[in-house]
Amino acid sequence: MHEVLPLNAEHSTRWILIGLALGLLLAIFLVRSFGSGQAIEVHAKMPEQGGWTPSDLAATAGQPLHLRLTSDDVLHGFAIGQSDQPPVDVEPGKMTELTLNFDQPGKYTYYCTRWCGPNHWRMRGTIEVQPDLNKPGAAASQSSQPEAEPLFIQMGVDIDGQPHTDRIPPDRPNARRGQALDTSLPEKYLAEEYYRTHSPVEVWESLRNEAFTQSYSDQQVWDLVAWIWRQGTSPAKLADGQMLFAQNCAACHGEMGAGDGVMAEAVAAEYASSGHGPAGPIDFTDPHRNLATSPVIQQGKIIRGGMGTGMPYWGPIFTEEQIWALVDYLWTFQFEY
Amino acid sequence: MKMLPSSLMNKHWKWGIFILLALTILLLPLPAQSAQASEKYIQIQASSYEYNPGVVRVKPGERVTLELTSTDVTHGIYIDGYNLEVIAEPGQTQTLSFVADQTGTFRLRCSVTCGALHPFMTGKLQVGTNALLWKSIAIAALGIAVVIWTVRT
Repeated sequence: MHEVLPLNAEHSTRWILIGLALGLLLAIFLVRSFGSGQAIEVHAKMPEQGGWTPSDLAATAGQPLHLRLTSDDVLHGFAIGQSDQPPVDVEPGKMTELTLNFDQPGKYTYYCTRWCGPNHWRMRGTIEVQPDLNKPGAAASQSSQPEAEPLFIQMGVDIDGQPHTDRIPPDRPNARRGQALDTSLPEKYLAEEYYRTHSPVEVWESLRNEAFTQSYSDQQVWDLVAWIWRQGTSPAKLADGQMLFAQNCAACHGEMGAGDGVMAEAVAAEYASSGHGPAGPIDFTDPHRNLATSPVIQQGKIIRGGMGTGMPYWGPIFTEEQIWALVDYLWTFQFEY
Repeated sequence: MKMLPSSLMNKHWKWGIFILLALTILLLPLPAQSAQASEKYIQIQASSYEYNPGVVRVKPGERVTLELTSTDVTHGIYIDGYNLEVIAEPGQTQTLSFVADQTGTFRLRCSVTCGALHPFMTGKLQVGTNALLWKSIAIAALGIAVVIWTVRT
């Protein structure tokens, strides 16, 4: 019995060693094929501390991009502009794994979705998606869809003016009252390009000179203007716009659009300290300014931003439909729908 | 049966009263508060790193709605004991409704990593009067009275 034991021990040791060696090979194989070896680790920091690191990512169309996201300070969020990818939270002490698939080559902007500090909106990065050259026709698909320029550039409107009017409606223009007038409005006024490129005051003045409004009061003509604006949108668009406004705009422009958001004072102070005059977030409830503003100017402001006023540029973040939905929603601060 | 000396008997009797008083303080319920369901609406402003107001006082059984507004970065409230959470982004005021069915004092803490002093961003939810505090005060007062009485006799 005593002589057998060492032999048994030698046997089992051998098997254990063989098992370990095989296990190691298997582990290496598993990590290489399914592990996070391919993943890019992206660290999020407050914009003052450097924002995203690395901020410029590269990917290839049709091939997955693996990201491992973590935060080095506070809660951040990750989303890609102009995409349906739902935003994910990026928390300190936690790795958020994310796999992205890009069908189309191009330059994408990713951005922080959680208010992480006063300069939260500056926290952006880019993903350069190259066409997959192994695929026939991939390079061609890139140039096949030239993007149309936004309306404000096509029209060449000046979006930096200070629109102002003293022609103020006696009462808040009401689309339902305008609808109840049961006027057959000429087609011209209902065309999308017409109402989007004219301010309410211009539309009002034009309507006032029409023969069919001669029996109407000034207020009734204003109600018609609201009715024209209402016909240009839909409840679904307004709901989209409301959601976008709450998530992205209300912190400065106020939850009720009065330019009195929780960040408004800080934004105004920063602008004043940079040598400009006093200016803060626009008050969308102010009729003097807004009734003299056309939707296309608002589109331009949202896409391009305020150029130093603290208003971010949303061009790479929102789709064109989202921007128009947002513009439509802004008019609910002037008109009763 | 032998009678105890009257002085000793007197002493025991007094100790009995003290013990009785102490038990009364410990076991007697505080004046009951109106149990009818009422509503309480409280606005809380969260900023780095405090809540304003920092202490929320409600009555037991009340239907409480907390309206959380953040003034700088994303903050949240987690109510210990109740295990409820609400998160507010600046510009998006959020509400949290619950029935205050547990009495006592509960810690409110920020549930979103909001900055360097985030762990110290706390508040308090007080449901009903702080029975423990008042009972402790009463017991302490009784204790002082006993000490004074013992020293004088």
